[in-house]
Amino acid sequence: MIAEDQTISSSRGYVHSSSTTDLVDHHHHEHESLNPPLVKKKRNLPGNPDPEAEVIALSPKTLMATNRFLCEICGKGFQRDQNLQLHRRGHNLPWKLKQRTSKEVRKRVYVCPEKSCVHHHPTRALGDLTGIKKHFCRKHGEKKWKCEKCAKRYAVQSDWKAHSKTCGTREYRCDCGTIFSRRDSFITHRAFCDALAEETARLNAASHLKSLAATAGSNLNYHYLMGTLIPSPSPQPSPSFPFGPPPSQHHHNHFPITTTTFDHHHQDAMKPASSLSLWMGGNINHHHEQVNIEDRIAPQPHSPQEDYNWVFGNANNRGELITTSDSLITHENNISIKENANAATSLSVPSLFSSVDQISQDASAAATAANMSATALLQKAAQMGATSSTPPTTTITTDQSAFLQSFASKISDQGQIIEDGGSDKFFALFGSNSVGLMSNNNNNNGLHEIGNPRSGVTVVSGIDELQNYPWKRRRVEIGDAGGGGQTRDFLGVGVQQTMCRSSSINGWG
Amino acid sequence: MTKTRIRNLTRLPSPKPLRGGDANFMEQLLLHCATAIDSNDAALAHQILWVLNNTAPPDGDSTQRLTTAFLRALLSRAVSKTPTLSSTISFLPPADELHRFSVVELAAFVDLTPWHRFGFIAANAAILTAVEGYSTVHIVDLSLTHCMQIPTLIDAMASRLNKPPPLLKLTVVSSSDNFPPFINISYEELGSKLVNFATTRNITMEFTIIPSTYSDGFSSLLQQLRVYPSSFNEALVVNCHMMLRYIPDETLTSSSSSLRTVFLKQLRSLNPRIVTLIEEDVDLTSGNLVNRLRSAFNYFWIPFDTTDTFMSEQRRWYEAEISWKIESVVAKEGAERVERSETKRRWFERMREAEFGGVRVKEEAVADVKAMLEEHAVGWGMKKEDDDNSLVLTWKGHSVVFATVWIPI
Repeated sequence: MIAEDQTISSSRGYVHSSSTTDLVDHHHHEHESLNPPLVKKKRNLPGNPDPEAEVIALSPKTLMATNRFLCEICGKGFQRDQNLQLHRRGHNLPWKLKQRTSKEVRKRVYVCPEKSCVHHHPTRALGDLTGIKKHFCRKHGEKKWKCEKCAKRYAVQSDWKAHSKTCGTREYRCDCGTIFSRRDSFITHRAFCDALAEETARLNAASHLKSLAATAGSNLNYHYLMGTLIPSPSPQPSPSFPFGPPPSQHHHNHFPITTTTFDHHHQDAMKPASSLSLWMGGNINHHHEQVNIEDRIAPQPHSPQEDYNWVFGNANNRGELITTSDSLITHENNISIKENANAATSLSVPSLFSSVDQISQDASAAATAANMSATALLQKAAQMGATSSTPPTTTITTDQSAFLQSFASKISDQGQIIEDGGSDKFFALFGSNSVGLMSNNNNNNGLHEIGNPRSGVTVVSGIDELQNYPWKRRRVEIGDAGGGGQTRDFLGVGVQQTMCRSSSINGWG
Repeated sequence: MTKTRIRNLTRLPSPKPLRGGDANFMEQLLLHCATAIDSNDAALAHQILWVLNNTAPPDGDSTQRLTTAFLRALLSRAVSKTPTLSSTISFLPPADELHRFSVVELAAFVDLTPWHRFGFIAANAAILTAVEGYSTVHIVDLSLTHCMQIPTLIDAMASRLNKPPPLLKLTVVSSSDNFPPFINISYEELGSKLVNFATTRNITMEFTIIPSTYSDGFSSLLQQLRVYPSSFNEALVVNCHMMLRYIPDETLTSSSSSLRTVFLKQLRSLNPRIVTLIEEDVDLTSGNLVNRLRSAFNYFWIPFDTTDTFMSEQRRWYEAEISWKIESVVAKEGAERVERSETKRRWFERMREAEFGGVRVKEEAVADVKAMLEEHAVGWGMKKEDDDNSLVLTWKGHSVVFATVWIPI
């Protein structure tokens, strides 16, 4: 990117420049659009700008500059144009000079200065200067803003502020101490967490005590919800309901696990064992848990009946219970789900990553690799190391040099591989690290569909055509030499073979 | 003739870190190596393996670690074909052992990325809608994740339905210990925890384990469901989450009517209320190793990429599982090669052939998925395909997992 601090715009208040060289796509600077003065601002889809808009490419420095708008009178800088205009009023300019230039303000769209970014291309420019600034900062900038509560870092201050507002406010805490930011992770954990087993064990034991202590006075049915007891005003007929039993009922009947095994040995052995183990574990912690919870609650008269007041909580209905025992800090269920739905914004992520530019950039690399034979690739591996800066003092293991020497001798031995006529070309191509080796690479191997199917990229240069033919011949020779008669489709197919889908390139790096 | 030039190329510094574009280079090497192995060109195979080992250290970046996984798989294949090779090729440290998860660990593990939660949310939303009003709901959970989808389903039934079902039956199969993730408790214990949880949500639940295996297309499961048909006002729900790919397809049994086809046909004859199908959108069934490797390479880079920034222990576990899959795809053949995923398009063909019709996922669920994705890394996205009513999870624009809902037609 050119380092000059420039824009192409010439209206007042913008930073001027003498040369206008840092424009990327000046040819998109299209015809004047005759916008009526009262044109309503239409929001295009993100990344799909108005084709008649003026494309502006700012350098990273300009983009991130905080005071882009300068007052021509006193030189004071402002972050926003509106602020500058407000300021200019204070200078008591004569009427004529107060006006901005009368030419129509054409809609402007902005491209990202980062070459590898999808928004670098004019067809994917963003319509808002603040938007492109934020995008550039978010994606390509340093993450200076750090949340105090969690480890997340942000490059854009407003993102950080938005996150800090919600960070830690919606928390789900399990009795075991783990904290979750999402309800479904919390629920999944809770179902399998031992804390739940202990809680139900304790409460079941407590209910056991209660049913012993209570007389026939109570006509409330107690139901469990999230390990707590809730009074249910209407007598609910639930013959299969396991709790509220006569004291003698065995616990393991509460867990109707049926194991349809064809091996009957297992059936009886496992059932009571697994269910009893839950209860056994519960007893140990019973006392501990009880103490904790009572400490949390305001002192209440200690009677068997009212031992259970604390668990009732604010049950409005079965689904929306806020209790202290589970330490749910926010409302559950419907409310939180709706919040999630409202908070969802449209996702335009795919456009960020399906980059036309990346393809053209990497096509050369892809195409280079695509049509090489095995030996060529191995050569390249060796050569890759050689063409990178090699300090003379680098130690080379004997293994490596021995390998390559033996490999090298192998190559020269296999006379079929290296044709006399083309050999110089062969190595010259590698030696120059030439990209011009390659050509069409646009065949879709219809066997599989992966990701976004893209037509391949064609990288053709004049030299290629000449070099292709000896190349092809060479490859076929190799195939015959190595295979012992077996056709090697893979190598012998020639230049049309797709080595890799360009969609796979997008994901790299 | 050009010996001098070759010597010039022998000076190699220590392996330089490779840029993203070199992933293509890795892929080429791997493909060539596969060809060499399968055509018994041991010398060439050895060379390429050696080069791969030097250019892709197992502790490098995600591309290099991906390549290492493939390298290991190719090594394993080479050694099984040519046992004499094993003495010459011993330069890789042994792979990480697969972690055996406690259920609580697994619950956290499945939520590392949206890979599974995506399917859970979509499927549960559809199931919830479908079972409203039934007095018995029978869920057959054919899932790789050992019932991790169920707690949120139970919770939703308890709180969001106007009238929760008086009886919930959950049936699972016992063959899930053949592929990762592995758990460290029995299914009986797992089931008892779920039943306990359901009880705390005021739902009566029965948990049934049926010994049945994917290798025969779950025939004993289907038989069981046939012998004990649905009672009056009972909804049969079959949730297939990353499991049907293990049922042998035509490329294994080489008959026109594979076990996979038979399974779907018999499933249809049970007249289920709803079937949810969540699978990975990739074709790993090709009989040709090179094609298979290419497909796998161009898919499995995704899980490596998604966890690139994760804590090392969890990432290691995760990558070990992906490596296991890669090994299955590349090194194994025949019945041992269990990972036989097919593309979304192919699964659609199968479902339609079996007389199922696709159902759209509700807007609410789509919104829930989007909200969930926001909590994960920026690369995650979602596509709603209107023409086939599917939801597709994407990573950097590439299709990862598809979620579909079906009813008998």
